[in-house]
Amino acid sequence: MNRLQHKFFIAFLVVPSFLILFAVVFYPFVYNVVISFSNMNLRHIKDWSIIGPQQYIKVFTEPTQPNFYVVFLKTIIWTVVNLTFHVVIGVFLALLLNQREVKGKPLFRTLLILPWAIPQYIVALTWRGMFNYEYGSINLIITKYLNLPAVEWLKSPTEAFIACILTNVWLGFPFMMVIALGALQSIPHELYEAADIDGASWWHKLKNITLPLIRPVMIPAITLGTVWTFNNLNIVWLVSNAGEPSDQTHILVSFVYKAAFNLYRYGYAAALSMVIFVILLGFSLVFMKKTKATEAAY
Amino acid sequence: MALNSNSKRVFRLAATYIVLIIFCVIAVYPILQVVTISLRPSDRLLSTSLEIIPENATFDNYVKLFTDQPFLLWLWNSILVSGVVTVTGVVLAAMTGYAFSRFHFIGKKFGLLSLLTTQMFPATMLLLPLYIMLIKLGLINTYFGVIIIYSATALPFTIWTMKGYYDTIPTSLEEAARIDGCNQFQAFYKIILPLAAPALVITALFSFMTAWAEYLVAAQILQDSKLWTLPLGLKSFESNMSTEWGLYGASSIIVTIPVVILFLALSKYLVSGLTLGSVKG
Amino acid sequence: MRQSLLSFICFAVLLASLFGGCRREPDLNRIVIWHQMRVDERVILEDQMKQFMAANPGISVEAIYKETEELRSGFIVAAIAGQGPDLVYGPSDQVGPFEVMEIIEPLESFFEQEYLDKFIPKGLTYYNGHLYQIADKLGNHLTLVYNKNLLTTPPQTDEELIETGKKLTISKGGKIVQYGLCWNYTEPFFFIPFMTGFGGWVMTDDGVPTLDSQGTIDGLKFIQDLRDKYKIIPGEADYNIADALFKDGKSAMIINGDWSWAGYKKAGINIGVAPLPKIVSTGLWCAPMISPKGFSLNTNVPKGKRPLVISLLKFLMQPELQLQTAKQLNTMPTRVEAVNSHFVQNDDILRNSALQIERGRPMPVVPELRAIWDAMRPSYQAVLGGSKTPEQAARDMQALALRKIKELNE
Repeated sequence: MNRLQHKFFIAFLVVPSFLILFAVVFYPFVYNVVISFSNMNLRHIKDWSIIGPQQYIKVFTEPTQPNFYVVFLKTIIWTVVNLTFHVVIGVFLALLLNQREVKGKPLFRTLLILPWAIPQYIVALTWRGMFNYEYGSINLIITKYLNLPAVEWLKSPTEAFIACILTNVWLGFPFMMVIALGALQSIPHELYEAADIDGASWWHKLKNITLPLIRPVMIPAITLGTVWTFNNLNIVWLVSNAGEPSDQTHILVSFVYKAAFNLYRYGYAAALSMVIFVILLGFSLVFMKKTKATEAAY
Repeated sequence: MALNSNSKRVFRLAATYIVLIIFCVIAVYPILQVVTISLRPSDRLLSTSLEIIPENATFDNYVKLFTDQPFLLWLWNSILVSGVVTVTGVVLAAMTGYAFSRFHFIGKKFGLLSLLTTQMFPATMLLLPLYIMLIKLGLINTYFGVIIIYSATALPFTIWTMKGYYDTIPTSLEEAARIDGCNQFQAFYKIILPLAAPALVITALFSFMTAWAEYLVAAQILQDSKLWTLPLGLKSFESNMSTEWGLYGASSIIVTIPVVILFLALSKYLVSGLTLGSVKG
Repeated sequence: MRQSLLSFICFAVLLASLFGGCRREPDLNRIVIWHQMRVDERVILEDQMKQFMAANPGISVEAIYKETEELRSGFIVAAIAGQGPDLVYGPSDQVGPFEVMEIIEPLESFFEQEYLDKFIPKGLTYYNGHLYQIADKLGNHLTLVYNKNLLTTPPQTDEELIETGKKLTISKGGKIVQYGLCWNYTEPFFFIPFMTGFGGWVMTDDGVPTLDSQGTIDGLKFIQDLRDKYKIIPGEADYNIADALFKDGKSAMIINGDWSWAGYKKAGINIGVAPLPKIVSTGLWCAPMISPKGFSLNTNVPKGKRPLVISLLKFLMQPELQLQTAKQLNTMPTRVEAVNSHFVQNDDILRNSALQIERGRPMPVVPELRAIWDAMRPSYQAVLGGSKTPEQAARDMQALALRKIKELNE
């Protein structure tokens, strides 16, 4: 094999993508690193200067309300709960849809994909309306059909946070379902037939054939899903109307947004963004190392 | 015994349908609310009625979209932008994903990881520097700038998807093709790529949707209303304290329809079972 | 093979249409306005722009809508990078941050004093000694809007308000089906009239917050009483809920701004507009914030283009055009000639609106106002959510405002 030709082929495959990514991500990223060490804010928007790591110190020590650690904890809860539901519901529905006997698959699939198809900012507002105490259909259903007392969804922090999570679970499961479906398609049916001959149970087949084989596609999807959910500004911002009530439904990224665009604290926001970046980078490294490790154990 | 296992199967199938229907209702209901809003005669977001078809339902809002608003222009612009992003996204992801799946090269691991890292920085903070950069490059108010950004947004995920899918295709297929006289590119293009169709479909869908519904970047870069894409047009019905909910709802529905159609059309390929056939052989 | 050829052709066509004709060089004959006008205002602006273009062949004017917050952040980003629209339109409080960031241009040198004298003083926004914004509309103010089918005489005092409210709050089977009054509980902008009615105000003239005052506490207590003691307002309401309640005839009165009137008429509600009531115990009228809405000039507009942009501005400020807008939207004009016109002086809604403007207080232009809103919002919501006492809320508002202002100016 011609080694030079081989290298050229790899470069041909890889370089274009990375050129685009480099252009779009690298310069802005470096810019943000610089800004995070500067005093860029309302009073120094054009004439900002480097002031050292003070913005980072502020991120960790400033007594904001709620403070960084509380918001961080909420972000973790937000991410874990969302992702668990996304993956479980997504894979579950994909398994149901992947059964041979089920008729009308395209219809089901299309209906189930709808939450993903409709732009987020549209449904976020619709969901906000649905959670409304007086007019919201959720409360109307709860009181009319279930005979339970109405819930004041958007008035107290816990319920408002749950409302955000419900909305995002609804938004996120179709994505995982599609990914899982794509992965399930690639599993040869013979494997199941062979297992059937061996008298394997449904659970056995799931555990020993299905899950291991959809893993290579699901692992990156989960990693990416984590990163996306962690950084999903739209839902929290729109459903809770920018952190209501009382700024208690923030996750880190909505906190950044508020600092940068409501209070013009670009330096601080850049530093907080860097902190988010490092947190996610750390998580992904550990997560992938862990999943790789289990992969080797097979 | 046989009867028992048969009734068990019927029961399982029935349960499957019930669960699927429940989830479909959950998936569709909030969207029906948007339909309801779009059919209401007055601009109203909220109402105490649970009816899907409101009282005095009217298609006025839809008619208005096409007669009073440059809606067709926005639609065409969106199709243009999303179309190019889709093609670019599929081509690039198919190529790069293949390299990551099949070859070992310097920086591979780093490359894969750095793909992921691009998603880790809060996107809104990239806006200011990106904007400054695009001004320097003279790409403000051009689709080129928007398309580059959208492609880059979708790529990390699509490359990963493609890589994951290629990994499930046995390398023996290429080896056989090489023996038959194909070169590396031909083996990739002629043998592997068709087998990866389901993943390509997901890649296309994802790239398309990244571009189709995006708002923030478009708002900052496309500052000429002739260049507006659908989300920009849609947002223009929303104003601080007096949103035109009717038009907003109607255009939301129309924004959603192409995606639904696209998914319907592509779902054929999702179930085509291309891979299944060839692994057998 | 044929398929791939087809897709290649498609791609080529797409690419070609992409590069063809979408690039545009900065054009000295093209004026761009960014605004945050509602749709009915936009229609009028577009019409006036067309008139201008017809009178000035070769010149094109384009107006781009952006939501208020996006307009600000978008304009800041664009202007810092040396670009952006020629004119930026919005309420006067954006002047503060824009001036501090030096992204809008002082306007006084472009106009003769004689011309500026033709405006009512509230229509011209000065900051740090310079004129930064010229308004075509005055107000953006809250008033009491009432459903004439449900009540004929609007309340004049807080006591009357409670009495009328009680009469108009109707419950059926333990559930309230009609409220006496409602408004948006999430935005402190809607709390200002109560605060001022009890003698409070947001800040001193130098931008030092004065939120921990008896006025704030009494205002909050009054709202609490309306909800818990007199039970004439709903338990939960944001802008859209309040709006829907009123449009459905489920609330007899609503506190809302001049922007909402046209929509209520369109929804078929027979509305009346009245000034907000007087608080008997203090003898003060509930005073909403008043702000002009107008145009500012981007500093990045090249010198050679400025006269053209100013001529557009002057065109849009003609009293005839202002009057035309006033007739269609019930907005208050800023040209003396238009204000004194027969229509403005005699229209029922506009007369009451003018009275409310007279009793209102101008919205501060300083950037610190931003921090004040952010500081008030959580505690205002907490009081209405029942998790804070008015006293605690006032203290927290003040402390948070001080800290936010420090952060803002660090």
